[in-house]
Amino acid sequence: MRRTIQLGICLLAAASLWAQDRIVGTRPGDFTLHDLQGAEVRSASLSGNVTAILFIATKCPVSNAYNERMSALYRDYAPKGVRFIFVNSNHTEPPAEVAGHAKTNGFPFPVYKDPGNVVADLFRAQATPEAFVLDAGGTVRYHGHIDDSQNPARITKQGLRLALDALLNGRNPDPAETKAFGCSIKRVK
Amino acid sequence: MAAYWRSVVAAALWAAVLYPQQALQPLDEAGYRKVLTANRGQVVLVNFWATWCQPCRVEMPQLVKLEAALKGRGFKLITISADEPEQEAAARKFLSQTGVPGPWYIKRPANDEAFIEAVDPHWSGALPAGFLYDRAGRKRQMFVGETRIATIEAAIRKLL
Repeated sequence: MRRTIQLGICLLAAASLWAQDRIVGTRPGDFTLHDLQGAEVRSASLSGNVTAILFIATKCPVSNAYNERMSALYRDYAPKGVRFIFVNSNHTEPPAEVAGHAKTNGFPFPVYKDPGNVVADLFRAQATPEAFVLDAGGTVRYHGHIDDSQNPARITKQGLRLALDALLNGRNPDPAETKAFGCSIKRVK
Repeated sequence: MAAYWRSVVAAALWAAVLYPQQALQPLDEAGYRKVLTANRGQVVLVNFWATWCQPCRVEMPQLVKLEAALKGRGFKLITISADEPEQEAAARKFLSQTGVPGPWYIKRPANDEAFIEAVDPHWSGALPAGFLYDRAGRKRQMFVGETRIATIEAAIRKLL
């Protein structure tokens, strides 16, 4: 009996740890970001829309391999009502560099700088590129990669597009979690 | 003609001296477990890196020095490249030039997601990433992103 109770406690603790680790199904705290022109976006203003939050970089070759795909995502899904927040949290990439990178790559979307990696910490983001999708109520419904290969010729799974399609059609994404491979986010020390 | 072939062989030998490249051995989940099992009894740091990852390139020579200093006490560095197939030659060249002790491995699972999850469910696949195992083969610590070599060294020494 005692062993059964001990096992039950262990299982509950493990389940609780697992739940803490997974961000899908949670509502991260409030945040405010500014784009490179100073325009502000508040998390509260995102409710009512499906929102894709993508952590990106200027120097990471994996993130850069996705530049065209990110622009295509924006062009395909922004007209469908999806809000996009592209965030640069790397302390090693100052705003002027982020602005230059966005211009050089012809990004059709604004990029928001995340001083002190506050928003990256809020979402527990590790990599660039890494995507999170929030439903209209602000709950994270997808977390992971944009797709499963930095080389477009080897893509087998479209994680982010499938997630957006699902939410736009009133369903929760499946899978809800994938692995966001890439460069680590360069956090302030 | 003989002179031509002599020069080709000489060039190949010279290249072998300059870049004594080994092949990178492909690893999937089962292979990863085998490597860990084969190294039980040592404190093992598995380092995931890639040629495109600048912090990985900066960190690698420091890890090589660390292994040279601590291998006598039972420390083993295992490197696993996360490079794409077209980057494999560059990976071999980097490992060779950096003097990374072999065997060298490259991540080639059937399912990348499952492999990353098997290594550590808390790891997204971001690089650089290091996983420290004790002599019993138990994972004791994960290092993701740029990590001070002194931090890694302290964690290793604690287990030695």
